[in-house]
Amino acid sequence: MNNRRFVFWTLTPGLAILAMLALVSIAGALYFSVMDRSLRYADYDFAGLYNYHRLLADRRFLNALRISVIWEVVTVVGALAVATLLSVMIFETVRSLWVRNLICLAFLAPVLLPRVAAAFIWRFLYSPSLGLINYLASLVGIGPIEFLADPSLALISVAVVDIWQWGLFFTVIMLKLLETLPKDPIEAAQLDNARTWEIHAFVTLPMLKGPIISLALVKAVESLRSFDLIYVMTGGGPGTTTETLDLYAYQAGINLGGRISYASAMSILLLLLTTIVFTLVWRGIRKWSV
Amino acid sequence: MVSLIRRWLSGLLLAAMVFVALTPILWTVLGSFKRLRDIVTPVPKLFFSPTLENFAIILQNPSIREGLGHSVIVVGASVLLGAVLGVPAAYSLARHVQRLKGDFQFFVLSLRFMPPVAIAIPFIVIYLDLGLYDTLAGLILVYLMTTISTVIWLSVPAFERVPKEIEEAAAMEGCGPGEIFVKFALPIAAPSLFGALVFTFVLVWNELLLALTLAADNATLPVVAASITSLGKEVPWGVINASTVILVLPPLVFIGLLMSFINRMMKPGRR
Repeated sequence: MNNRRFVFWTLTPGLAILAMLALVSIAGALYFSVMDRSLRYADYDFAGLYNYHRLLADRRFLNALRISVIWEVVTVVGALAVATLLSVMIFETVRSLWVRNLICLAFLAPVLLPRVAAAFIWRFLYSPSLGLINYLASLVGIGPIEFLADPSLALISVAVVDIWQWGLFFTVIMLKLLETLPKDPIEAAQLDNARTWEIHAFVTLPMLKGPIISLALVKAVESLRSFDLIYVMTGGGPGTTTETLDLYAYQAGINLGGRISYASAMSILLLLLTTIVFTLVWRGIRKWSV
Repeated sequence: MVSLIRRWLSGLLLAAMVFVALTPILWTVLGSFKRLRDIVTPVPKLFFSPTLENFAIILQNPSIREGLGHSVIVVGASVLLGAVLGVPAAYSLARHVQRLKGDFQFFVLSLRFMPPVAIAIPFIVIYLDLGLYDTLAGLILVYLMTTISTVIWLSVPAFERVPKEIEEAAAMEGCGPGEIFVKFALPIAAPSLFGALVFTFVLVWNELLLALTLAADNATLPVVAASITSLGKEVPWGVINASTVILVLPPLVFIGLLMSFINRMMKPGRR
């Protein structure tokens, strides 16, 4: 078997299936988005851009868009901030490799949990009547806090769970990255009497700029898939204060009403938005990290 | 002196973070062995007489048993197919494709940008028409999108780390590309590939939205678990804890493997 045939037979099946699935979903969503199909009725008609028109006037959609943006920013920044602080701290204070590995194992556990399981676990902890957190809060003298039922707290309470999973996971990765860095620039900075935080702010973290941006991109992509967490913890409530775009699309298109076309238009807009943003970021990463 | 205090403080903070990382999980495990009256107490109980009641309820519940079975079949089949189709493709990309490599990799990554609802909605309609709705085969098919792309994405760097000299030497001996792949590249990259598969497994095992929309009676474990809260009037916290533990167990078994995978991927690569 020569090289050309080998490449053909190894690449084609996998990529063909991927391309087919992607094409079916995108073409399908595009097609339904210009129809007026709902799950309840079998017949449907061409509706043009009607669905898109209605979307832009839909206050619930605009609210979901706003919540999605807030969610992205809070979880990406939160996870990276936690990871940066903790990884530098472990790098500086924990000398024993054995202890480091134990800490890493503990930090990896949350991200392995299914989101549904993480959601249950934290709903239990957050519970006002029997949750551990409210018990601890009551010891300090703060009354029961309705973490998930209070409109001003619900989104941030769910975000904490996401950061608990991803921030600790990224801590492990950033620690491993710090360990791979060459020692000379750090020692040179130490000779110049730089403080520890200065060394990290001006020497080590800039050296890790490329990988950190990649982590941010990965987190941004994964944050878009937080449906499970929010669905189980709040279901989008109270009201619509935690309703992100995919939750609204799910509610409109599948759960209630089955307005397939309306939800398709929504997911097409979401797809367009993410593809544009992430393509630009991806291009940027390749430029910056070289 | 000041640095000693600072060291103590950061040590304390790290200990607190380990506590924060693990306590929620351990508390749930503890809760799964409690009777409801031990859970619904104003003061959380650390000591109680443990019971296996919750697990008995879970394992006797047919929908949960079936969900577990469906999860095993769907996740197993899609990860296996993802490996069979994805690993050779990743090897080709790493070794034989130069000009279009970046484009292929971007295509594979861009599949992760797709909002799951954008996949779910067209597929629910198409599956209803084709009679694939609520079948395990239908679920496996959509999951291939996740498994193949993730396997390729994570395996390309693993193959790039295989020393080129070994493959060149094998080629000099007259081995064809297929033979080099199976006999040399695959065994050397195997540990990293295994890590990539574990990662893929965790992703699909945890998936909720597609399973929720594309299946009804043949749903996977996350869907069944998510629906437990609406069982009866009184929230069966013990049962929820027990089902969470069952859901959590398979991914957690792989924690050591994932750790060594991360260690290997983060080592400076030798080309």
